[in-house]
Amino acid sequence: MSWEMVAGLETHVELSTKTKIFCQCTTEFGGEPNTHCCPVCIGLPGTLPKLNKAVVEYAVKAGLATNCKIRKISKMDRKNYVYPDLPKAYQISQYDKPLCEQGFITLSSGKNINITRIHIEEDAGKLVHERGDVYVDYNRGGVPLIEIVSEPDIRSIEEAIEYIEKLRLTMKYIGVSDVKMQEGSLRCDVNISVRKKGDEKFGTRTEIKNMNSLNFISKAMEYEFNRQIDILESGGEIEQETRRYNSDLNITESMRGKEDADDYRYFRDPDLVTISILDEEIQKYKESLPELPGEKLARFIDEMGLSQDDAELLTKYKKVAEYFEKASDNVENKKITANYMLGSIFRRLSTDTEKEECNIPIPPEFLNELVILTEKKKINSSMARNVLEQMLDTGKPAKSFITEKDMEGIDEDALRSICEKAIESNEKAAIQYLDGKEKAIGAIMGYIMRETKGRADAVLAKELVKQIINDKYK
Amino acid sequence: MVTREDILKIAKLSKLSVDENEIEQITKDMSEIIGFADTINSAVEDEDVEFDDINDIVNAFHEDVVVDSYDREEILKNRSGGENGYFMIKRRKVK
Amino acid sequence: MERTFSKIKHIKKLFETKQVSCTELTSEYLDRIEEENKVLNAYIRITGEEALQTAKKVDEKIARGESLMPLEGIPMSLKDNISTNGIETTCGSNILKGYVPIYDATVWNILKNQNAVLLGKTNMDEFAMGSSCETSCFGGALNPHDTRHVAGGSSGGAASSVAGNIAVYGLGSDTGGSVRQPASFCGLVGLKPTYGTVSRYGLIAYASSLDQIGPIASCVEDAACIYDSISVYDSNDATSRGSRSKTSDKLDRSIKGMKIGVAKEFFDGIREDIKKSIEKAIKVYEDLGAEIVYFNMPQIKNVLPVYYIIACAEASSNLGRYDGIRYGYKSELYSDVNDMICKTRSEGFGKEVQRRIMLGTYVLSAGYYDAYYKKAQKLRGSIIRAFKSAFESCDVLLAPTVPTTAFELNFTSKDPIETYLTDICTVSANIAGLPALSIPCGFDDKGLPIGMQLIADSFEDAKILNAAYQYEQQMNGEIYKHCNGGEII
Repeated sequence: MSWEMVAGLETHVELSTKTKIFCQCTTEFGGEPNTHCCPVCIGLPGTLPKLNKAVVEYAVKAGLATNCKIRKISKMDRKNYVYPDLPKAYQISQYDKPLCEQGFITLSSGKNINITRIHIEEDAGKLVHERGDVYVDYNRGGVPLIEIVSEPDIRSIEEAIEYIEKLRLTMKYIGVSDVKMQEGSLRCDVNISVRKKGDEKFGTRTEIKNMNSLNFISKAMEYEFNRQIDILESGGEIEQETRRYNSDLNITESMRGKEDADDYRYFRDPDLVTISILDEEIQKYKESLPELPGEKLARFIDEMGLSQDDAELLTKYKKVAEYFEKASDNVENKKITANYMLGSIFRRLSTDTEKEECNIPIPPEFLNELVILTEKKKINSSMARNVLEQMLDTGKPAKSFITEKDMEGIDEDALRSICEKAIESNEKAAIQYLDGKEKAIGAIMGYIMRETKGRADAVLAKELVKQIINDKYK
Repeated sequence: MVTREDILKIAKLSKLSVDENEIEQITKDMSEIIGFADTINSAVEDEDVEFDDINDIVNAFHEDVVVDSYDREEILKNRSGGENGYFMIKRRKVK
Repeated sequence: MERTFSKIKHIKKLFETKQVSCTELTSEYLDRIEEENKVLNAYIRITGEEALQTAKKVDEKIARGESLMPLEGIPMSLKDNISTNGIETTCGSNILKGYVPIYDATVWNILKNQNAVLLGKTNMDEFAMGSSCETSCFGGALNPHDTRHVAGGSSGGAASSVAGNIAVYGLGSDTGGSVRQPASFCGLVGLKPTYGTVSRYGLIAYASSLDQIGPIASCVEDAACIYDSISVYDSNDATSRGSRSKTSDKLDRSIKGMKIGVAKEFFDGIREDIKKSIEKAIKVYEDLGAEIVYFNMPQIKNVLPVYYIIACAEASSNLGRYDGIRYGYKSELYSDVNDMICKTRSEGFGKEVQRRIMLGTYVLSAGYYDAYYKKAQKLRGSIIRAFKSAFESCDVLLAPTVPTTAFELNFTSKDPIETYLTDICTVSANIAGLPALSIPCGFDDKGLPIGMQLIADSFEDAKILNAAYQYEQQMNGEIYKHCNGGEII
């Protein structure tokens, strides 16, 4: 009997508003400790919070982009717990009336992962532990977050990772967050349990807290999945508890059990007033949303004629997608642009961050010009590839590497005589080819390319060579 | 009825340390106060609606415009233990 | 010597006619504080230097012939839970000893801009939790009418400073009666404004949905003048609304035909002599042409437990931040961070504060929330609706302020519940966010002042000030008794 994973995710996304959620200090990342602080965000006695309007706007947009219903009347609650990084000893969050509810994200398989809710809340400060001393920096304290809670619809690590990636991309596209996992602006808690395949009932779950890398999330899930199976198979029981992932040992370890679970004593924050959102505002936010990743993917496939794989690679990074669209402007066959992007250009953007930033040395207009030259058969594809490499090396436009003569191309008659000359000089190769050694033709092609300084259309030349050999030796 | 266990639980949540010799008195006081608070449970509220905003104010927002933060010396003014610009809790042992 | 009623106005006239300078007046007050405060313990911090600096500025303005703002140059006191930039603010608690705010409360900012002369910070029950000022870590403030009695609480120091004539007026805060009760005990006028009219920004919170800053003054006109200055919309406080209009120019209105409601339940358990005093006041109102409407308000019997549940729940959360990390007291001996926080709080907070934190934690905790906090919030809704409907048939309500006169020293430390019960008449206004005012209406056989309360619908602060002023004028000074040293000018 095989086991099935059941997982749900709580994803914290830091919003990229300019100011904190309850005061007007900057949300800028980094900075010397405690330099982005004021009496409100360090919780001095007597200070009062005031909600950032942009936080509501961003959260509603996040909800709309994930197919959520928007709650028109909402409120803020206090979640009470004492920890040195939380200056008021409560986090202002939303409990029973979150801004957004009942959404979903569609995976490439077509399966929906349902979203229970999205609520707004404040981030805590940062603790640094050193030789038993604890240092506290409140720069992060009060930075706005949305928490996106999924239903336990996830059945595999792959689904979890795709869900997070889709969520991340969506937030990036709509501009509500930088979603930089290494800076902690996207963090996940994973609720995970196992059950026998075919069972209806969920098993007892554990929660793995606060992970900010896809790699750690998948390793932690894998470890925890196997750990739970091992326990159950040896007749044990899963304890409902909170665990953390230890990346040094690649294990999950217990943080606290159920009996130590916090009693947060949620109640409405009396310092803040009701949030009321009008239909017109929701409509306005809806209209302001850009094309979402899913929509873009569909358009790249349906209208631009790209394959599913290519379209996914090109929509995975917002800036890359935008670059691609500019570079394909007025291009008949957009696959050519896609091939250049996914070939030469992606080879130079080796890391995720580089793709994210889309630091391509030439502007999309330069690539667009090259593609159009190729498409109009002004230059052939092998030459174009060559030129593209030079463009990427220097940042210069295509015309810097193409002469007028290059663009004249070589007419078929001239090419035919070069081909004949090439075969005569490589007779041995021609015979080998006839004997079935397809590769032998390479030597002849090399001769042609040398002769034409790469101006020859390789596809046409190959056709001609085969034709001539067949005519001549048969 | 408030029990000794209740007191220990709420003391823990309240981050208050309760002396062993005080627990009995605290339990007794709290029982009386809770008994007094309990009188509301015989009261009938006229509708099943919870109290909301006291003056029906909605949507008090601040604009998303950055205002200069405070100087760090001000922020740390009430904590001489601050080091390298951090608030600090020194490791300390009970004597 | 006779004590003039419109004290602020009177002082302003003395300034303008150059009979006395602001510096002279301020020095006079500071000298008296040095003398009287040893006994009264009204001030826990005296800010003489700052006061004289401000006074000098005011005198320069007078010399230049510039006109003065309403509260300019008037020597006054602030309750020690109102944050003052650069001046230690302790809330009467050991846990905040040494704490120096780095920003000003909005009310203090307003007054500072008017060149109000701050004489010092006044004594209070720790975190405003008490009815006698005796939970203060500085010891109680005494009643200038009889120093064997308390000044009341929690704004006991504010009331003591005004009654003892060591401040022209004081600002206090009122969560369940903390302005009105000490005003009543000390024979003064105390106003708890409509929730939201005076900014709470910088007021160290006890219970956020109930707290409101208000003036304690020696006459209605002063209270109205102070209220008009401080009731301004503040963008730092999301619950702020500001006042509807100025009240001080509406005091002279006739109250002929005004409907004054009297709810029977407010008189249950009230001392006989106090009832009699208030009945006499009702007669005065009838003579003034008001119509008295008697009615029942059964919801009153729920107000005390509802108040204590809500106030303590909010307090348990508001007081969580005193953890020793950023400001205030910090325990020196601990094993780890959690232990440091627990020790700091247990050593820093007094018994009554700890009791209320624990009660608040209890009523919010899993398994008890519905029976206490949620139920209390529902009852709060019914109480609010009961008041709204009462105000459909009358303009103001009249009630006692406190069931007794000033307690003897150490009365409140005996039994917490017995003490809580003395808040019975005042807490309703906080629960419903209504404006309420206490004004003296007589004396008991020991010569201690008796207070009565006027309550109006939200944002109708002008109505109770007008009704109180008319009564005050009619009584021609009989309700005020001068204590402690006579005229200072």
